[in-house]
Amino acid sequence: MKKLLSILLVLLMACSMMVGCSKEPTVVNLKVWGAQEDQEMLAGMIEEFKAANADKEWNIELGVVGEPDAAKKYLEDPEAAADVFAFANDQLRDLVNAGGLYKVTRNTENFSDIYAPGTIDAASIDGTLYAYPMTADNGYFMYYNSDFFTADDVKDFDTMLDKAAAAGKKVFMDVSNGWYIASFFLGNGGTLSIGADGKQVCDFNNDKGVEAGEAIKAITAHAGFVTGDDSILIAGIQDGSIVAGVSGTWNAESISKAWGAAYAATKLPEYTTASGKVQMGSFAGYKLVGVNSQTKAPVEAMDLAAWLTNEANQVVRFEKRALGPANVNAANSDAVKANVALAALAQQSAYAVSQKDVLGSYWTPAEAFGVAMEGKDYSKSVQEQLNDMVAQIQQ
Amino acid sequence: MKQVNEKKKWTPRRARRLASSILGHGFLTVLSIVWLFPIAWLIMQSFRGEPGAFTKYFIPKTWTLDNYIRLFTETHLFNFPRWFMNTLIVAIFSCLITTILTLLTSYAFSRLRFKARKPMMNVILILGLFPGFMSMIAIYHILKSVGLDQSLVALVLVYSSGAMMGYYIAKGFFDTIPKSIDEAALIDGATKNQVFWHIIMPMSKPIVVYTILTSFIAPWVDFIFVSVIMKDNYNMYTVALGLYQMLTRENIQQYFTEFCAGAVLIAIPITLLFIKMQKYYVGGVTAGGAKG
Repeated sequence: MKKLLSILLVLLMACSMMVGCSKEPTVVNLKVWGAQEDQEMLAGMIEEFKAANADKEWNIELGVVGEPDAAKKYLEDPEAAADVFAFANDQLRDLVNAGGLYKVTRNTENFSDIYAPGTIDAASIDGTLYAYPMTADNGYFMYYNSDFFTADDVKDFDTMLDKAAAAGKKVFMDVSNGWYIASFFLGNGGTLSIGADGKQVCDFNNDKGVEAGEAIKAITAHAGFVTGDDSILIAGIQDGSIVAGVSGTWNAESISKAWGAAYAATKLPEYTTASGKVQMGSFAGYKLVGVNSQTKAPVEAMDLAAWLTNEANQVVRFEKRALGPANVNAANSDAVKANVALAALAQQSAYAVSQKDVLGSYWTPAEAFGVAMEGKDYSKSVQEQLNDMVAQIQQ
Repeated sequence: MKQVNEKKKWTPRRARRLASSILGHGFLTVLSIVWLFPIAWLIMQSFRGEPGAFTKYFIPKTWTLDNYIRLFTETHLFNFPRWFMNTLIVAIFSCLITTILTLLTSYAFSRLRFKARKPMMNVILILGLFPGFMSMIAIYHILKSVGLDQSLVALVLVYSSGAMMGYYIAKGFFDTIPKSIDEAALIDGATKNQVFWHIIMPMSKPIVVYTILTSFIAPWVDFIFVSVIMKDNYNMYTVALGLYQMLTRENIQQYFTEFCAGAVLIAIPITLLFIKMQKYYVGGVTAGGAKG
């Protein structure tokens, strides 16, 4: 026992001495963060980058941090964070406020040709570009079974619900989620913006917002409607009880497998308010690649970020992982247009709003409103519930 | 014969006893179903052949071992074998260190009388009232300044360094061993150290086993410290953090059944250790609790 203890102690000390190996000054050291499922693909892109820039010696590491967690992981320890990392564009404001991102100053010559204005705006704060756009597919749209619905049916939410209810089937949407439920308000002219004091400003409780709220109430109470999370959607599609549902590209593979030839998707439908039909809006999310402001090699890091998001690599992302390109040329290729889910997303993008101006305070109150609606809790009027929601969002 | 027949007669007392027995067992049955249901579900999911995260039926339609096989063969995306080994290494080392530290501390507090004894016990009690993850970020920065972040050594240190704070039960156990045994050995010329290793230890199997078990489990179930310390270093993840990667929005539909298989596999080393040491375990808890 004693021997073991002393061996252990020696081991521990040895380990602590071995750390901090010296680095060669001539080598460019960079670290890249990407999602776990992208690691292989990223490694390939980095190899090509090294080959294309053989004049320097590179030491590029890969770390696993997915886009949704990037800002959180970055802020935990900016110094240890990657030099080049991908993140979802709703984190842009947090990262810029924390001084975490280098302004993009290189490789932007033809940006106005290869990116839509909305895309560039999604990567900018107050007109300054902070990241390279990578994908433009973080949104949602309507999947439907084309054996059950015609292309005309899916233009109107009420038609869909009635037809589904008549056949004992369901139309799915996750209303207890701020991300999805916003589509009703945004479609009816609601806005989320940031006030002078840096707090969220939300007008979802004005007359238009109440109209949208009443519509949500009517839809959630409909016999042909079902709510829940992704697993409810997929299980329902697999057993045939769900014939249409609002979701995003990450479920495309499972849904297309389940429906086979009947797999179809389109923009979100119109819904009915007291003052007429309204096209549902949505959030459009982008994924961006930014450069850590604490990097020791900003020029090289920016070149690498630009390389990871160039047209060829956006095509690679689409081919290997079915991620929707942000680059206009890549997005307009025939292969991308033939992708059912991405085509539907592109249709919906005309009605989509960037998620950049949505702060963290929005999500929980919006979810609470959705939970009340799907729980059919009508103890307060819609106006009162929306007033509560907006008051909490603007806190 | 007659008497036996009389005994089987239906009396109010027998009826009452039977009713209470049925009620009691019924209650226990319900409780055990509630408790076993999630585990049974998890195990069934791990053998499910159909893909997807959620099915509306309880029993899988097709049974398969593929989830387990894929967990060990398709390692390019989720390197489960590597995570499993990481966790096993951390668990074994931190278990050894924790056990030794805890036993030494409890022995000192139980047998030795020194000035700072009471104050130290008080300090430990108060420190123990704060949740461990409160100091998480501080610990990370300290480890980083020493250059130990993102290493398994760091995890072993984190899990075992605060271990002696859990000395209470072991101390309670040592308090029940008569002091005269120590004194007899001391008179015969043994040192305090020898008394501990050669006399007290062999008598304290239950409590040693209890300490080993509790400290072995910690690394298998901890999530929060691993995620702070390992950050992006995927190859050093432990199973808890690694398996969680399977549950992201992009992966859950495809990997949920593998996740279940992984969760079942985690239970195996813990269960084996438990079965092996079970007979001591019960003794350990009750013996220590008597005077703890």
